[in-house]
This record gives sequence, structure tokens and C-alpha cells, in this order.
Amino acid sequence: MVKIESSAAIVLDESGTLTVTELVERSGLSEEELQVLIDCGALAPRDAVGASWRFSAHCVVTARTARRLRDDFALDDAHALAVVLRFVQRIEALEDELRRKG
Amino acid sequence: MKYKDYYATLGVARTATADEIKTAYRKLARKYHPDVSKEAGAEEKFKEVAEAYETLKDAEKRAAYDQLGSHAPGEQFRPPPGWEQSYGESSFSFDDVDLADLFAGIAGRGRPGARGAPNMPIPGQDFEAAVRISFDQAYKGTEIEFDMAVTEPDERGFLRRVPKKIRVRVPKGVTDGQKLRVPGKGGKGANGGRDGDLYLDIEVQAHPLYRAEGLDLYMDLPLTPWEAVLGASVDVPTPAGRVTLKVPAGAHAGQKLRLSGRGLSRPDGTSGHLYAVAQIAVPTVVDERQRALYTQLKDASTFDPRAHMVD
Repeated sequence: MVKIESSAAIVLDESGTLTVTELVERSGLSEEELQVLIDCGALAPRDAVGASWRFSAHCVVTARTARRLRDDFALDDAHALAVVLRFVQRIEALEDELRRKG
Repeated sequence: MKYKDYYATLGVARTATADEIKTAYRKLARKYHPDVSKEAGAEEKFKEVAEAYETLKDAEKRAAYDQLGSHAPGEQFRPPPGWEQSYGESSFSFDDVDLADLFAGIAGRGRPGARGAPNMPIPGQDFEAAVRISFDQAYKGTEIEFDMAVTEPDERGFLRRVPKKIRVRVPKGVTDGQKLRVPGKGGKGANGGRDGDLYLDIEVQAHPLYRAEGLDLYMDLPLTPWEAVLGASVDVPTPAGRVTLKVPAGAHAGQKLRLSGRGLSRPDGTSGHLYAVAQIAVPTVVDERQRALYTQLKDASTFDPRAHMVD
């Protein structure tokens, strides 16, 4: 029987330090779109090293959600995308709270 | 392969402009997107609409689609002779290829397998899968194996739908709803483009006793009235085995008793706590002697839990 190699999985949580380039590559968003999301508070870098932002691995999840919303609704406007993303984040937080309360 | 009329799906004419196609898609997406629609069958409908737009929004893919000609929806058809040449053999069967897959490889480089296509590196697609694990697997970490059907180019660069077995090591301490990234296990890149990644959406099955909130765990701890009043040493389960918990005298319902460090833990050493939430359980069947003793207690006590409810 052919043994399948097992691969390590990286948990996308608050750890990790990704650069803007890595975040662009992993999410499929453009750097401009990322900038607008950061300006609107929809995406929060953890800190800046020199002149460059650093992001947690969890930002990949947020950025990919943004990309999915952008493509699903064919949104051209990055500001509209940021607003939609904030609403989706609020819905997810409420659903979590509901689930916890049982 | 089955024909799908993408123009009909979007409700536009075959001569529609790119703007008309985008407007039509947006209207349908707003109507059927599962995040906003409660209609039955909305998700299925949205997938059809998204697939149609994916092909028609790109000028090259749309041109390639138009070349297939016009057929009745659902009709089994064979692409025109030119397509077979691109696939290199006249006996090639299109049966196991989905219409959407035909165009997936077209992204500014002509038809799949076409000779003289520019050698631009194309990164592989990312894949996503939902995975369900037990509480125990999440607590200890685990290795999971599952099957996926993916569309990827074969040795000659032609797209095929292939089954793949994936095996992943999930680290301990993952929580329900977390996402994991498995580098390089997505679609193959082409022309030296990097392989895509596999993203896993983790669902942790509910445990009959423990509820997780981040790394902390909560469990209900039923106590008898005398244990709550007098305090007690009680034997309780934890994911790592049974322990003795000291209940302080005067424990009230809802009080959280902390078992330090006995929550979930991560490979980096961070861990949460296990909280035993006190519940006062009352026996429903009491014999004569117990009834008499409870009555004595009632007479001996001035405790009034409803003192705050007096006008």
C-alpha cells in the first residue's frame, strides 16, 4: 500500500508575522484593497517593522473572506467591500455569542 | 459532457456587453447568495450563477465558450473538432470533464494545452475543505485523512478531475471554527508557478461534558445542597483524568470553580483553564426522616434568598 505522506497544518490564529506581500499572495486581494481594509478598521496589522506592516496568521482568514465577498458580489469598490466585511464580522461575532449561550 | 447555457443562467443575450453581464450577475448574486438569502435552493442557484459569470466575465474564456456553439441546456455534446486536437487524441473522452473545468485553465494564455502558449508562471488554486474532529482529537492533536476530488493539469498540461488522498497533522488545541492552512497541498502551479494551499475549516464535535471557549473549558458541576452549604471534596472528570476539587463552603449556583491549566493546551505551551460551574441539585424523592430533617432546617434558618424582591 502506498503510504501517503502527512503534511503539517498551520493554525491561522493570532500568532505569526506575515508581510503585506505574503498577505496579498495568500488572500488574492490587491495591496490597494488591503490598504482600504486597514484604513476602515476591517483588518488590523499587529505592528509595523520599520516602514512595513506585519500581520497575524488570522488576518489571512479575514482577507480571504474579503476576497470571497468581493468576488461573490462583484464589488469594484474597496470601501464598499470594507463595509460589507465589517457587517459580516459583526454577524459572525453575534452567531458565536448565540452559540455560546446555547 | 453536459452543456450549460451560461447566458440563459444570467438572463442575458449572447451579444450582451461585459457591463450588462456584470450587472446581471450582481443582481442575481444579491438575490441568491447564501449569506443573504433564506430561499430553499439558493446556494445551488448561486453556484450556477457564479460559474456562469466566472466564464463570461473573462473575454478569453467567453470566446472559448462561444466556440462550443449553442446547445440545449443539459444536452450531452462533444466540443467541436478543434478542441479534440488541443487535447491531443481523438479518443479523448469528455465524459468525466465538467464544463466549468474546460475554462479553468484559460487565464490569458489561450486554450488548455495549446501550443505556443506564453510561459507565464501560473500559481496553483487554493482548495478548501471542511473537516470534523472529535473533542478528544482536538485536545490531543491528531492526524486526519480524507479524500478530495480536484481538477488539475496532468503531465501534458491537460485538465483532469482526479481523486486525491490528503493526510494532515492537526496540532493540539484547535477550536471549533478555526481555520488551518496546509502549504502546498492545493492545486498544482503551472510553468513554474507555486502550488496552491489547502485551507481547512475545523468543526469540533460537541462534548457531552465540556464546552470550549477559546482555550478555556466549562463544565456543569451538580452539587447537593449540603455540599454547597458545608463545602466538600468532590471527584470530577477533566480531559486529562479525574481530580479532586475542593468546593468552598457557601458555594452558590453559577459560581465558577477554577481548575488551573486543565483546559485545552497548544504546542507552544499556552493553555486555558477548566471551570466547574456549580449547580445546586435537589433530590426529588425524600423519605420521611429526610423530610423531617429538612423541616427542622427550614425552622432553624432565617435565610431569605428573595429579600431583594420586597417592594
